[in-house]
Amino acid sequence: MPLVEQKLVYAHGLAAVVMLFVSIAFGIFASIELLLPDLSGGSPWLSWGRLRYDHTQGILFGWLGNAFLAFLYHAVPVLTGRRVTSARLGQWLFGLWNFVIVVPGWLLVLAGFSQPLEWAEFPLIIDAFVVLALLLMAIQFLPPFFARGIEDLYVSSWYIIGGLIFTILAYPMGNFVPELVPGARGAAFSGLWIHDAVGLFVTPLALAIIYFVIPAASRRPIYSHFLSMLGFWLLFFLYPLNGTHHYVFSVIPMSAQIGAITASALLGVDVILVVANLLLSLRGTGWFPRDLPLRFVGTGTVFYLVVSIQGSVQAQMAVNQAVHFSDWVIGHSHLAMLGFATFAAAGGIAHAWQRIPWARYNHRAMVWAYWLLSSGVVIMVINLTIAGMVEARLWQSNAPWLDSVRAARPFWIGRTHSSLLIVAGFIAFLLGLTTGPRGAGLAEGEESVGLETIDEMARRLTYSDAPSPRASRWPGVSS
Amino acid sequence: MAGGVIMNDAVKRVPRALRMAYIVASVCGVGFFAMSVLLLGVWPGQVLEEQTRKMSPEHPLNLTVSESRGREIYSYEGCAYCHTQQVRYLESDMARFGAPTLAWETRFDYPHLWGTRRIGPDLARESGSHPEDWHFVHLFAPRSVVADSVMPSYSAMFEGSPDRPKQTARDLVAYLETLGRSRELAGPEGEAHARANCNCDKDEMGQMAFHTSELNTNPRKTRRNGAVPVLVAGDGKRGLELYARYCASCHGTKGLGDGPGAAGLHPAPANLAEHKYGLERLSFALTNGIDGTAMPAWRDLNFGDLSALVAAVRSFSVVQQELPADPKTLEAGARVYKANCAQCHGETGAGDGIAVNELRVVPANLQGVRPSLNATLHVLHNGIEGTEMAPWASDGTPNGTGRLSEAEVSAVAVYVRGLYQEGR
Repeated sequence: MPLVEQKLVYAHGLAAVVMLFVSIAFGIFASIELLLPDLSGGSPWLSWGRLRYDHTQGILFGWLGNAFLAFLYHAVPVLTGRRVTSARLGQWLFGLWNFVIVVPGWLLVLAGFSQPLEWAEFPLIIDAFVVLALLLMAIQFLPPFFARGIEDLYVSSWYIIGGLIFTILAYPMGNFVPELVPGARGAAFSGLWIHDAVGLFVTPLALAIIYFVIPAASRRPIYSHFLSMLGFWLLFFLYPLNGTHHYVFSVIPMSAQIGAITASALLGVDVILVVANLLLSLRGTGWFPRDLPLRFVGTGTVFYLVVSIQGSVQAQMAVNQAVHFSDWVIGHSHLAMLGFATFAAAGGIAHAWQRIPWARYNHRAMVWAYWLLSSGVVIMVINLTIAGMVEARLWQSNAPWLDSVRAARPFWIGRTHSSLLIVAGFIAFLLGLTTGPRGAGLAEGEESVGLETIDEMARRLTYSDAPSPRASRWPGVSS
Repeated sequence: MAGGVIMNDAVKRVPRALRMAYIVASVCGVGFFAMSVLLLGVWPGQVLEEQTRKMSPEHPLNLTVSESRGREIYSYEGCAYCHTQQVRYLESDMARFGAPTLAWETRFDYPHLWGTRRIGPDLARESGSHPEDWHFVHLFAPRSVVADSVMPSYSAMFEGSPDRPKQTARDLVAYLETLGRSRELAGPEGEAHARANCNCDKDEMGQMAFHTSELNTNPRKTRRNGAVPVLVAGDGKRGLELYARYCASCHGTKGLGDGPGAAGLHPAPANLAEHKYGLERLSFALTNGIDGTAMPAWRDLNFGDLSALVAAVRSFSVVQQELPADPKTLEAGARVYKANCAQCHGETGAGDGIAVNELRVVPANLQGVRPSLNATLHVLHNGIEGTEMAPWASDGTPNGTGRLSEAEVSAVAVYVRGLYQEGR
């Protein structure tokens, strides 16, 4: 019996891409509404605020959530040599995630039931099911790790365990506490989740993918297991302490603000460490490896570095007081979610896809996807960053408020256009997964770096047959 | 080890205690998280609660049922994603929006609506910034009162026109009117109380909360009094451009008071063709707005632009200099005026009668504006909707109250038109 529930990998992978298109449609429509505000003709279902809620919730749950699940169904058995808890549970989880959380969440938001809380816009009833789904995810994916024994876990395993457990802890901070604790006090908790959604859910799972795909696709061990683990623990130490940097110069006590700003700076240092380790692991694969999943995660790593350094800088008071509230931050969040996390997720899905023997795979489409997405993200982020600086400058002056809206318009036009590149990129990505010959992914892997079957790799990762100290970096791979 | 883990030698050589380090690390990990919640959530929460307890007025107004529903609407429409509700402790924020937000001002916010993006302006001090009719027109068709705004239209909250708001629109506007209200109501005593209890004598940032000259510095906020630079008639061509952008949506492209935004406004926007405005009067209206009406202040435009607008506005007027009126008519008009109009419009017509403070809308300063004869008669016959100016005529109109005869109306019309002084 095969280890990996390939059908669940396939289902979540495909659901991820489908939901991605819906989420992007919300985003693009909202961006066009800033250019043509009367486009929706006053229809409440299409008003900007509601589309904006659905855009980010769709990206977080619909796209990244499904992508992570697809990856977990592939990676957990490989990392542990064990099957996930239950295929039946997997089907329930798939239904719950997509048809009880994301789709109804979207509709409820459009119908006017939502929370005005960032990364927590789905209404409370949906939040309850998210908690249930997070618990089921823990039940589905964590037992294999504990059954295997966690004394010599590879770093991806740590990120998966950490990500799943800490998300359960952090989720209520932004989704439930502000409903019970008013105003400024609630905002302090809300700030925690704004950062933890990215820091304890998206980042750990995206890093798990990157740490997994690099050695698996290049068949070379990770540069340093020690650095990996150091980076992991520093990340889990520092990320939660960043929350208050979303409310700098607010009434929240200054010492909490300064603490969060300091943690933000240190986080940049940690990310340099993590990224250095990853880039050193990528040595020898070339700038643009032939294996597209590897190329995606490599570029995602670079985005991770840039977005984290940017985050450290913009948390600092001198920068924050100017660019906070502006399009600069929108650029930052797109670099994080569309650059770093999406590139990792796309790499993760494609990597798992290549190893589904009956799945189609189209290399040329993937190459197109890579270049379209890369250029789209870079253009969008640069464009929004400049827009933010222009807005910030006008806000510091005594120009009328509307001047900043007028000044942003050309950049908003640019943003909407850059999103067309991104849509084209994802269409190519979808074609990459659904056209081409069946099993072509395996062939691509073999051509570039040589590819083992999943069962082989699982054996290699679990039962060390090459007992050298270096091998523990990625047990079984000799360097 | 059947089914178990075969560890490599490197791991086996490590003492068992160290091999269990992951447990220590995991406990620490959860500890880190708990620490973040304590340091950045619970502890600041306690400080803020303490501040609220000490600095809040004893009985701040909570939201009414309608206002709470408005808050719900504000929440699910995502208003907070373009409009922050938090003035930061920064000079640039304070200059634009007013006093920084104190913890106690947010004590009824479940959940908070601070926001992290400002596409539109901050609304923490919106209370008193705009009259209700402006809000309705703005929600119904934002660009008809704010040129180049990118706000969505919320026309679904109306029965087809801004004059006919549904309950949702009423609730939402009621809620907007509460933003910053508690602190306004607390007044100077409230500020003194908060300041005395803020325990922030040495805390530079804490002090900033009390440093603004006024709580609400919204440049659009109307003022009944306020320093006014005397503008000159500037560059007319530039003025017409600015007029087209800022004024035409209400006053109409030709100044006839018939722009798309005009329909829902009470009083209606002035017909600039039918009035001749003095420089002082225009300077006042542009700088301070017309309190109680939808005419906002334009203090955020610079002197050159405002002067250009003065030239543009005056260029629309078709009111002619007229021949001196018959002294007998003037005398009769003066008697009528003294008996009926002076309480509000003032003895000399300067709009400073003894009743002024009781009125929602400040009466016209007749020294600063000469309406056309038609416009004058129209007002005397019909009053001005949305103001305390009542219809005075006896007949010929459905609103006729019969308070003045036709002869008296004609006489007082001539009289008030003569009060205008060039330069005022």
